Amino acid sequence: AYGINSILYQRGIYPPETFTRVQKYGLTLLVTTDPELKNYLNNVVEQMKEWLYKCIVQRLVVVISSIENNEVLERWQFDIECDKAAKDESVPREKSQKAIQDEIRSVIRQITATVTFLPLLETACAFDLLIYTDKDLAVPEKWEESGPQFIANSEEVRLRSFTTTIHKVNSMVAYKKDSFP
Amino acid sequence: MEDLENNTTVFSTLRSLNNFIAQRVEGVSGLATPGSSQSSLQMQYQQRVQLEEQAGQIHSKSQLLQVEREKMQMELSHKRARIELEKAANTNARNYEREADRNQELLTRIKQYQEREMEAENKLKEQMEMNKSYKKSMETMSKKLQEKESKLAEANETITVLKGKISELQWNIMNQEMQMTSQDSQKQELMEQLEVQHKKWQEASQQIQTLQASQSLLAEYEQKIKDLEQKLSQQEHDALIVKNMKAELARFPKMERELRQLREENAYFREMKENNGLLKEEVEGLQRKLERYEKLQAQLVTLELENEKLLGKLKSWEKLDQSTGLNIRTPDDLSRQIVALQQRELVLKEQNSTITNSARILEKARQQLQEEIIRVQSQLLDEKKKREQHEALVRRLQKRVLLLTKERDGMRAILESYDSELTPSEHSPQLNRRMREAEEMVQKLHAHNAELEVQLSQVLEEVGNQKQRADMLEVEMKVLKSQECTADQSVFVTKEEVDALRLKIEELEAERSKLEGENRALEMKLEKLTLQGDYDPSKTKVLHFSMNPASLAKQQRKEEQQQLQEECERLRELVRVLEGGGSIPEKLEGVGGFQSPQEIA
Repeated sequence: AYGINSILYQRGIYPPETFTRVQKYGLTLLVTTDPELKNYLNNVVEQMKEWLYKCIVQRLVVVISSIENNEVLERWQFDIECDKAAKDESVPREKSQKAIQDEIRSVIRQITATVTFLPLLETACAFDLLIYTDKDLAVPEKWEESGPQFIANSEEVRLRSFTTTIHKVNSMVAYKKDSFP
Repeated sequence: MEDLENNTTVFSTLRSLNNFIAQRVEGVSGLATPGSSQSSLQMQYQQRVQLEEQAGQIHSKSQLLQVEREKMQMELSHKRARIELEKAANTNARNYEREADRNQELLTRIKQYQEREMEAENKLKEQMEMNKSYKKSMETMSKKLQEKESKLAEANETITVLKGKISELQWNIMNQEMQMTSQDSQKQELMEQLEVQHKKWQEASQQIQTLQASQSLLAEYEQKIKDLEQKLSQQEHDALIVKNMKAELARFPKMERELRQLREENAYFREMKENNGLLKEEVEGLQRKLERYEKLQAQLVTLELENEKLLGKLKSWEKLDQSTGLNIRTPDDLSRQIVALQQRELVLKEQNSTITNSARILEKARQQLQEEIIRVQSQLLDEKKKREQHEALVRRLQKRVLLLTKERDGMRAILESYDSELTPSEHSPQLNRRMREAEEMVQKLHAHNAELEVQLSQVLEEVGNQKQRADMLEVEMKVLKSQECTADQSVFVTKEEVDALRLKIEELEAERSKLEGENRALEMKLEKLTLQGDYDPSKTKVLHFSMNPASLAKQQRKEEQQQLQEECERLRELVRVLEGGGSIPEKLEGVGGFQSPQEIA
């Protein structure tokens, strides 16, 4: 959720004055104060936690599209590899909280740094959260199937990954190449 | 008493015993004859034994009695001690009670004394306080007395001072009365001067009043002049304004005409703006379409190129069947042929592997056999050597035997000669000496012989070992020569197979490298697609929340668009109505009236 909030703030999807500062992972991060948005994020995150525990989630994608023409401008993709054997093991995996937080911190810093080379979002934009799951999962209430929302002419950049010994998260960003050189 | 009785019984028994023993002793001493000695002795012995037993019993009984006596004494003493203790305890208790009573009396007396002490202390304290208070009062009184005395002294001093002051004051009064009279005279003179000046002042004030009146008149006249001048300037201004107004009035109809023209132009420009906007949007849409079509064209061109390439490939493939002559019409046949070839290859490879395995096994067996041959030959050589050694030993021994027999015969002959010589002559000592010397010589010779034989045997052994080594080396040489021959023979047989296998290996390696390259290319494509967000629809599906912000934004956008379209239609209707200039409905009038003052301003 903190990564998503950072992306929303850095890309200017919502006005900066609707964000407030909190301390997490040893960094000062910005989270939204808009109640509707918070509610939406909480719903999605709760569902994600359940699915992550069952190791059903394969990918989480933040799609940024222009409101006027519904064109997808950016795609932030987080691939999740889950070690299913970890649930059955009785011995817990040895990885310190601090090490995991350091890796998460480096990923959030990298998100902030990638904003420098992404093209400007000049039109008003909205975002959507897509979750790639196993095909045989029951679709819960309030959720629906959707398309993958590809970008037609995209450049991709791979970012850092971090692992908690049970899940490994690979992050990457795809953005629409500028039409005018 | 019992004890005494017991003692008397004891003593009586002891006395009886002693008497009996004395009697028996006398009896025994009188009857000391050998005939009946034995039976009397026995009887005496038995009696003595019985007496001794009785004595022992009596002794023990006496001991018992003594112990019992002692016990009784102990008990008596114990009882006496207890009684004494009780007495002592009673006396102690009584003493204790007495002392307790005394203590209580003393305590009561102490309390009384303490109470009296407290009362005395209180009285003391009160008296002390009284004393203190009296002292304080005395001190205050003394202080007051002192103060009063001091005050009296001060008062006396002040009286003297005041008396002096009174005399001084009286002297001052005298002086002041003198001054008063002089000042009165001065006052009268000044009063006269005052009256003179008062008259003068009245005259001056009258003059001032006249002057002020004239000044006010002057000011009024000046004001009137200013007013008249202002009226003049205003009238001039008014005249100018009137002229301007006339000119403007003349311009007014022109202005109205211009106004109308400007309004028309405004409306026209607004329409043009809207049209421009619409046209720009159309242009942008068309540009995008253009770009898409251009991309499609480029894709078409590339696709055509690929098509031509594929057609060329197809033709080459179709020609293949004519060139190879393998009855190929379709790619399926080709693939089947390739599959058959590959299967043949696999079979051949398997055969090859089995052949090589059997060859290896055979080689291993041959090597093992060769090693065995070598071992056996070495063993043969060893045994040969041993046999030779044995034969040499046998020969040596036979020679020894012959030598020994010869020596024996010689010695026998010598001995016989010596024997024959001995009997006639008497040179025995010299002969003995000569014999001994001869025997010694013989022994030395034997020893020398033995040493030489030992050396001989060692030398022979060394010679035998070296012969054995030489034979082993010859055998190995023979074996190696035989190996070379066999190797040369096998090489000729399998060279052709090896060449064919090498060719196959090279072809397979080339195919493998091609497949690896294709694999890498496919992996890169996969990677790119996953980065772009591709997924396998048979295994994954994409979900999102129904109430997500993008859809909300789209809905808001739609609503805004609808609102804007409705406003647009309303404005268009207004414009049409205004252009028509017809009857304006009430709703639109307010809008039009709002617009016109804005335009004028």
